[in-house]
Amino acid sequence: MKSISLYVDIQSPIHSIDPITKLIYTLVFILVPYILPHYEIAISCLILTLIILLTAKVIRQVIPIVSLSLLLISTIFIIQGLFYPGNSITAFKVIGIAFYHEGLRYALGISLKFINLLCCSAIIILTTRPSDLIEALVRLGLSPKLGYVMSSVLQIIPQMTGTTQKILDAQRSRGLETEGNIFIRVKAYIPLLIPLVMNSLIETNERSMALEVRAFNSKHRRTFLFEKKTSKKMLVIRYLILVFLLGAILWRFIK
Amino acid sequence: MDTLVVKNLSFAYQPGIEVLKEINLSFTNCPTAIIGQNGAGKTTFVKLLKGLLQPIQGDILVKGKNTKEYSVASLTKHIGLIFQNPNDQIFKSNVLDEVMFGPLNLKIDLEEARENALEALKQVQMEDKIKDNPYDLSLAERKLISIASVLAMKPDIIIFDEPTIAQDYRGMEIIKKIIYELKSQNKLIITITHDMDFVADNFSRVIIFQKGRVILDGFTKDAFSQKDILRNSFLEQPHITQLGRKLLIPETILTIEDFIRNFKSFTIPS
Amino acid sequence: MKKIVVEGLSYKYPLAKKLSLNNLSFTIEQGEFIGIIGANLSGKTTLCQALVGLVPHFYHGSFKGKVIVAGMNTMEHNIAGLAEKVGLVFQNPFNQISGAKLTVYEEIAFSLENLGIPQDEMIRRIEEVLELLDIHHLRAHNPFQLSGGQMQRLAIASIMAIQPEIIVLDEPTSQLDPQGTEEVFKTVQQLSSQGVTIIMVEHKIEKLAAYAQKIALLHEGELIDFAPPEQLFARTDLHKLGVRPPIFTQVVKGIGLDNNESKVPVTLKDTYEWVVKKFGHSGS
Repeated sequence: MKSISLYVDIQSPIHSIDPITKLIYTLVFILVPYILPHYEIAISCLILTLIILLTAKVIRQVIPIVSLSLLLISTIFIIQGLFYPGNSITAFKVIGIAFYHEGLRYALGISLKFINLLCCSAIIILTTRPSDLIEALVRLGLSPKLGYVMSSVLQIIPQMTGTTQKILDAQRSRGLETEGNIFIRVKAYIPLLIPLVMNSLIETNERSMALEVRAFNSKHRRTFLFEKKTSKKMLVIRYLILVFLLGAILWRFIK
Repeated sequence: MDTLVVKNLSFAYQPGIEVLKEINLSFTNCPTAIIGQNGAGKTTFVKLLKGLLQPIQGDILVKGKNTKEYSVASLTKHIGLIFQNPNDQIFKSNVLDEVMFGPLNLKIDLEEARENALEALKQVQMEDKIKDNPYDLSLAERKLISIASVLAMKPDIIIFDEPTIAQDYRGMEIIKKIIYELKSQNKLIITITHDMDFVADNFSRVIIFQKGRVILDGFTKDAFSQKDILRNSFLEQPHITQLGRKLLIPETILTIEDFIRNFKSFTIPS
Repeated sequence: MKKIVVEGLSYKYPLAKKLSLNNLSFTIEQGEFIGIIGANLSGKTTLCQALVGLVPHFYHGSFKGKVIVAGMNTMEHNIAGLAEKVGLVFQNPFNQISGAKLTVYEEIAFSLENLGIPQDEMIRRIEEVLELLDIHHLRAHNPFQLSGGQMQRLAIASIMAIQPEIIVLDEPTSQLDPQGTEEVFKTVQQLSSQGVTIIMVEHKIEKLAAYAQKIALLHEGELIDFAPPEQLFARTDLHKLGVRPPIFTQVVKGIGLDNNESKVPVTLKDTYEWVVKKFGHSGS
């Protein structure tokens, strides 16, 4: 694995949209169902998000995530159906235990918002390269140091698996047993862990020096290798989304 | 019986991309240098010898027994590999414990392990540092400790992976001395290296790997007279050999002593 | 023109018991190709760090004396400020990779982005160093997927792209095969002929003797000698100082070179000419 990411590397209209626009969409459409807590709103947001995911051809990758959350969702339904404070009207009974209308409706509300949150997040995670998102944030003003930390973690941690393999080879070469009962495996931890930690410390120290010498802390105004002009179309879309958010907030206060 | 036999060995990390192709080699106790371009398969080859990787095709016989029948730990008794980066293996807080780790894994008793470790440390001239923390020492000193760690297990076959990188003059002299002593103990020494002068000075046999195949296997003298094969493998002749060539000395020169001897009988007095 | 001026440089790392550098003084002219040799722990790496400001700004510790590179006093500028004028290529190429970039191409751009170089200039410089270091075919590769030798070339390329006036290289060929080593030396010499000042720490004495115009010999933190190779390697105390002369020099000493000579042959060519002159021997 070259770097940690769930990015799905295909072409689609959604993939071509810049990361910031997608980020704004995700944040707004997660918030709106909370600002206007009506089922219709949550369901509409979810449907719109699902359409976007379909256009991005990443629905397949979303299904496992949503299916896993179904377990959590059924738990919510059970607990709220049984114990929600405002429970009074019985919806149905199972082995004599009553599940109440109010609790189930409440659970439905929470579940819809939750699935919506997962799907909106999926838009960013599955259709945006982490490095592109981080660079977009840095262009907007995110501290380059923070941006670097985020970018490098994604690659450096997988690199450690390579180092771990080398350490494993070296220690096995000296007769370290790594297979067998739990006792043997636990004993093998220290000879593997210590070189890994020491290597990481030495590496980090040297890399910090290398970054310094490559002008990382330079006072110059940073430039970027790739031109990223935000098209008028994208700006319009961003404003529309933000206007939508404002509208939702206003409606909430009017009602 | 040959100490080490490699029969028709092939290996690939990923299916379809063969890193080693049909290698056939046998070793007695002639000190051998394996050279070749980066990526030619040298390190993969020694990992296979050590049992860290399994062949896709072919067999490796260590002292007559197939490596597939050994576990990595049991193979360690017979064949030792000194890795390039000592930081990949050092984990004890003092040098002596570090060097004793290997012997203790071989289930030798404590006293014997300690003796073997001290002996190995003397060989690498680090016996005055036994109480030091290895991470307080320089990289070159840690390299010598990783050599001692393997010597202490007293294998009959010892493989060095790039022992001369970052070594200074004193370090090189220690390594040469170690190789000399191992030779006199009749051990089989194999080294991977880029240092042609080091090869010419210490090893009688040269194997050149290129793109996963053995393209040359012969005496050092013969190997280093083949300028074209060397160049195609991104290698060069040792410096002393180049000098002998330039002065039209017919014999392939490998050491300074060689040169002086040949030169004296070849000079035309002015 | 004096590109590097070092006066009375002494330095001790924090928590160290001994000085790593002891009262070093020397000057280097623009465009010179200088070699640094010495036993391990003689202060070579510390000197490299002092030339780019890592000593004292990264390591702190006790710093005495003056180091002026390309007209800048290292005490008065931070490392990033010095980075535009003087570059350092470290020994271990793996740890020089930023880790933030997914391709070799972008990795080289990293330093240039930090320095605010305009985009078209960036692209021009990246193409240039890709060609120079023979890694243009690797431009789309992930930096971590390169071999040790390729990584080392990438590290050198990343520093060269900054186009500093001075480049310091600390054992830059350790992972490279003989031809790769030769290519690095040739490239670096080309830069030197174009006016870039080069400082290179190396153990490969024969190569250094053939390319460097002057060699500095360090021993236990002190500058013992700073002279052209033909003079430096004429010394008879080299082994005691933890270094050795080139094989060629050792050879001529064995076939009749006077120990009192102040200049000795250090390269293949020198040695050949010396033999012909002394023995009337005709070679190729």
